[in-house]
Amino acid sequence: MILVLSPLFSGIVNKQKNFFTGRIGAPVLQPYYELFKLFKKETLHAKTASFISRITPLVHFTAILSAAAVLPVGFSAPLISFEGDIILFAYLLSLSRFFQILAAMDIGSSFEGMGASREASFAVFVEPIFFFTLGSIAFITGLTSISSIYDSIVLNNISYLVFIFVCSISFFILAVTECSRMPVDDPNTHLELTMIHEVMILDNSGFDLFLYHYSSSIKLFIFVILETSFFGSLGGGNRVLEIGIFILIVFFLSTALAFVETVTARFKMKNIPQYLLFATAIGVLNLLIFTFTQ
Amino acid sequence: MFNLFSILFCLSLLYLSVTSRLNAYISVLRIQGILLTLLLLFHSIGHFSVLTLILPLTLFTIKVILVPRYIKKIIFDLEIKRTIESSMRQFSFLLLVLFSMAVIFFVSNSLSKSVKIDIIPFASGFSSVVIGLFVIMLRKKLIVHVIGFLVMENGIFLFGSALSFKIPLMIELGALLDVFVVVFLMGIALNKISSTFSGFDITELRRLKD
Repeated sequence: MILVLSPLFSGIVNKQKNFFTGRIGAPVLQPYYELFKLFKKETLHAKTASFISRITPLVHFTAILSAAAVLPVGFSAPLISFEGDIILFAYLLSLSRFFQILAAMDIGSSFEGMGASREASFAVFVEPIFFFTLGSIAFITGLTSISSIYDSIVLNNISYLVFIFVCSISFFILAVTECSRMPVDDPNTHLELTMIHEVMILDNSGFDLFLYHYSSSIKLFIFVILETSFFGSLGGGNRVLEIGIFILIVFFLSTALAFVETVTARFKMKNIPQYLLFATAIGVLNLLIFTFTQ
Repeated sequence: MFNLFSILFCLSLLYLSVTSRLNAYISVLRIQGILLTLLLLFHSIGHFSVLTLILPLTLFTIKVILVPRYIKKIIFDLEIKRTIESSMRQFSFLLLVLFSMAVIFFVSNSLSKSVKIDIIPFASGFSSVVIGLFVIMLRKKLIVHVIGFLVMENGIFLFGSALSFKIPLMIELGALLDVFVVVFLMGIALNKISSTFSGFDITELRRLKD
């Protein structure tokens, strides 16, 4: 389901972005066409590249896909679920990032090295956001498996509502950073000096680039699911209602994302850490509040 | 409900410590004013009367409408630049704020064992006071100092509502009037300074001493 739906989500976001800027824009299915185009093309490798840049796209893709398997998509039970899979989820994402950074450095282009160093330095700030946010929910519920955490959230409890509101903000920032969307990184620009994520895959082509693009849209969808899963208990066990709510929230999120990307400009590089620390601060606040309401 | 507002209040404080635009500072003031009004309204839900409405309404007019408008007018009239100038990097400022918030939460937790207080409103009020102080200490612009003072005042208000005993209505109203007058006076003072002196940088003001 993730495999099929994730490019659709990026398509919807793009369409809505165009709507906000008053253009018609590419069709919603455009990401599928682009992925298909890349899939057909021949893969070229740089002369200086070693085996690392050959295996990286696959490792990247697999890591992200297995991270997605931990999540409850559309409020149904996830494929993999065990005690402590939060850690697995976080480190699968880190693994994918690590390999991407390695591959970017492996090729030996100075631009890609720069992108890699930026990605690495922002990753330092991204990780605490994840752990403080999801960690604080884990702490609150006393569970360590993502799906059971989400199962245990009941929306009629007022304090959970607060937590969800607070967590949503930091999840949004997390999603924006991890998927290198607008205020942190501009996915449309192709000026090497300003890019973070896109610069690392400059030298990839064909099937490798297909894997990268595909996995980045899956990554975006992963964060959307992380956010929507909060509202799982609204459906009350009714499958149709649940899926309706799921679609509604996903649509709402894509609107929010498109809106934010339209109204904000990209931050200066030196302002990004403070933006990310803000999200961490929210997580810390969550934890503090929880500790002292007991 | 009480906790919810306090947490939102804390969020506004965090926002205050990352943003670097004057307009954002003013909207933070507005948001805090709205939060305090809602908080007071929820207080009076059980025992509703016209008297209980006076305080929230005055608070709303002063903190959400009059004071932000007045500050905006000053900024516009005196052509103050739209960025706050900080004597500390925003990043370290946020770290400082975060650290002091954590300390305050711990302190109020230990306080709550001996005195009867609601921890979260108390701690958020307390941290608002401290953050207002930090803003006054570490920002260079005079107009930002006014905002820092107002944030402190908001904190004291929240602080007061976290205590279990009631503060009489007249005193609260008097405090509000006080704040309004102080902001007004600061505006006049800023105007005066601008007519004799260019720039509102406190580092410049050092030269004033003889």
